[in-house]
Amino acid sequence: MKRMVILAGVCLALVLDTAAFAQAGPDFSGTWRFNQAKSSPNIAGNTPIVPFPSQLVVKQTATEVHVDGTSVRQQPTSATYKLDGSKVSIKAPSGITETGEAKIEGSNLVITTRRSFTSPLGETIVDFKEVWTLNGSALTIEKTRTESGDSATEKAVFDKV
Amino acid sequence: MRLLFAAFSVAILVGAAIPVQAHHSFSAVYDGNKPVTLRGKVSKLGWSNPHAHIYVDVVNQKGETVTWEVESASATNLLRAGIRKEDFIGTEVIVKGFLAKDGTPTVNASSFTLVELKKEYTSDEATPTAR
Repeated sequence: MKRMVILAGVCLALVLDTAAFAQAGPDFSGTWRFNQAKSSPNIAGNTPIVPFPSQLVVKQTATEVHVDGTSVRQQPTSATYKLDGSKVSIKAPSGITETGEAKIEGSNLVITTRRSFTSPLGETIVDFKEVWTLNGSALTIEKTRTESGDSATEKAVFDKV
Repeated sequence: MRLLFAAFSVAILVGAAIPVQAHHSFSAVYDGNKPVTLRGKVSKLGWSNPHAHIYVDVVNQKGETVTWEVESASATNLLRAGIRKEDFIGTEVIVKGFLAKDGTPTVNASSFTLVELKKEYTSDEATPTAR
């Protein structure tokens, strides 16, 4: 009986270790502040082609990542993504519908979002893809905006506060 | 003499108020959450400071042609970038910008490309804070 208990304990420890190993990956948690000097020049200014927040507050668990973004020109954003890549609704300003997906790919966090709203063009759809990479105490986000078959990519670097 | 002085003062005040009204804040007029891309022909141009206004005929999803007003950088800045007034009329243009809050076909341009001339202009009004 004692052997059985020990064996079960060993098995449980192995299972827990395996689960922990599977979940071990980059952790983007923290408060991140935009560093203009290290970022693409086109993303600062009055009307950037690819907008980035000034500050990000990220809380990551094994299954979810919660991202709060604040910026000067845009309203604050807040989204909780499931890390299994399933689609979630994102709280957006009035008149805008936004959905998104996130997953860990190797050492990167990849977030894709789709924003739709009505404009004099008709129903306007804008797709964003963000690839997050940690580099010491810096977070680099490469963001691509795609709309009407046209796309632009810019890079922003954030320092950990 | 007093009447002349009063008239002169009013003229100064009115003159000062016009450029202030034209040089509004971005967030008062445009929605930073609504980026749009336009492609169409330039039909008219307001070559002025502090903003040049480019009028672009764009076909919407219903097949109707809608004239958009594109607020760009100043004529002075465009000239400095090698873009002349004559470059615009009748040319095809691709504009990336942000939609007006009031829902009218008006955008603030982040960049535009004069397709035939292969000239691109990106807003150079950089300030030290991210948007």
